[in-house]
Amino acid sequence: MISFFRVIKFAFQGFFRNFWLSLVTITMMLMALFSTTLLIGIDYIKEATLEGVNKKVDILVSLKPGASREEVELLATDLDSQAEVKKVTIITPEENKVLYEQSNLDEKAKKVLDIFDEDENPFSFSLAVQGNELSQYTTILDKISQEKYQDLVDSSDFNDFDSFVGKIENFSKVLNKYSWYIIGAFLLISIVVIFNTIRISIYSRKNEIMIMKLVGAGNWFVKMPFILEGVLYAFTAVVLLIAIIYPIINFIQPSLTMYFQDVNVINISEYFQSNFFLIFGTQFAVLALLNILSTSIAIRKYLKV
Amino acid sequence: MIKVTNLSKKYGKKIQALNDISFHIQPGEFVSIVGQSGSGKSTLIKIIIAELKADQGELLVGGWDISDIKEREVPTLRRQLGVIFQDYKLLAKKTVFENVAFAMEACGFAKKDIKKTVRQMLALVGLKDKEDRYPNQLSGGEQQRVAIARALVHKPKLLVADEPTGNLDSINTREIIDLLKKINNLGTTIVLVTHNKDVVNSLKGRVITLDNGVLISDQAQGRYLL
Ligand SMILES: Nc1ncnc2c1ncn2[C@@H]1O[C@H](COP(=O)(O)OP(=O)(O)OP(=O)(O)O)[C@@H](O)[C@H]1O
Ligand SMILES: [Mg+2]
Repeated sequence: MISFFRVIKFAFQGFFRNFWLSLVTITMMLMALFSTTLLIGIDYIKEATLEGVNKKVDILVSLKPGASREEVELLATDLDSQAEVKKVTIITPEENKVLYEQSNLDEKAKKVLDIFDEDENPFSFSLAVQGNELSQYTTILDKISQEKYQDLVDSSDFNDFDSFVGKIENFSKVLNKYSWYIIGAFLLISIVVIFNTIRISIYSRKNEIMIMKLVGAGNWFVKMPFILEGVLYAFTAVVLLIAIIYPIINFIQPSLTMYFQDVNVINISEYFQSNFFLIFGTQFAVLALLNILSTSIAIRKYLKV
Repeated sequence: MIKVTNLSKKYGKKIQALNDISFHIQPGEFVSIVGQSGSGKSTLIKIIIAELKADQGELLVGGWDISDIKEREVPTLRRQLGVIFQDYKLLAKKTVFENVAFAMEACGFAKKDIKKTVRQMLALVGLKDKEDRYPNQLSGGEQQRVAIARALVHKPKLLVADEPTGNLDSINTREIIDLLKKINNLGTTIVLVTHNKDVVNSLKGRVITLDNGVLISDQAQGRYLL
């Protein structure tokens, strides 16, 4: 128990009295953490963008005039039961009329409605079909144009998003494919850099280690403070990371909000807030573990005195 | 206290650092080990403190056969010895007090004991008022005295010194040797490796002379031979 407290005391002494060495070590770790967090942030923005686009895309199916409510509801249920379909919304003729009146067509076009009576409605039912994923819209379109629906379906329209969706879809495929290589390569580099940083830091204190051994300290007693220092490095690096990341997030959030004109599509502050422990806790745990391992490996050689 | 029987040590295949050495040191003795540079003195000391292992022969320290000592028993051995070196080997980032205390902390002594004993030892070596300094704020002689205090705090029966005055001027050398004599008078066995002819001759004690790894003379009232 006594030696437990001594080990902690020595760890803090080592941390603060080798100030510059600690600072350099922590800076290296901070850079690795910062880049990892950047990757996490970029990944979130990518996902959120795709989801945002996905939400705004739907297929508008115009139904033939005279289709009855029951038939429309049957069709809607049928489509809804398809695996690719996320949601089917029925738009009634009344709603269509309102939508038309409220749309930003010019007044002249809207005048067309005047040839009908107040209670006459030239619009028919239509369906807004949302898919689960962007890639499934073509399949959904194919299904809608099946023979059995043709009695009801007048036309189906991809809302003009077609080419845009295709591009986004491709982009995300490429990104997903390479992001794993990038993340993998990146983690590997970080691990090597951190391991070597620790090794150099232990090397520069090898005399200290050998002296301790020569005056009768046991391996554990010499090693533990260094290991705890590794945990302290990890802790300090993560605290500094948080101090740097939050201002950056708050700085870029407004422009992300602007992009979709909606706070809820890409809310990176909220994302970091609600995943705080997952993001920073995991990084701390992994870094601390890495430091403990690196220290144990690096110090072994000098304990053999 | 130390019993060496037919001890040999080679570095690699060619360099025969120690060749069939035998001697016996009784408790309470003050023994000087002399010899030219490269004659194997440091090698002998390193074997005694288990920094190195001998190839052949037997070595008893305080009745304990350490010829085949296991790695995890080494700290136990070192806590029964005091060691001082030519380059002091102080911990640069610890104060004088902390350096001396470290040897006791490693042994698991209680805090109260440590404070008392460290102060006593620093008084003995004449550094009572410098306990808060760091090693680089001390002179060479003062640093060596800190090292001696550290070597003594856990009350070892044997003190081993490898050229402790090698980096010191004659006045500081005199002081360190006087200190060692005082410690010897208090009952600690001392093995002193030295190059210094005046020191050996003034001690008028037992002198073991090595030459090229061979023990060539062991005199009870010896002088510096070479
Ligand atoms: N680690 C080593 N590897 C190879 N040879 C060594 C090593 N250490 C010492 N030697 C050789 O062993 C022999 C004895 O060395 P040792 O250090 O014991 O001499 P010494 O008597 O202490 O000399 P000095 O008075 O200069 O300190 C020398 O020839 C030296 O070159
Ligand atoms: Mg030597």
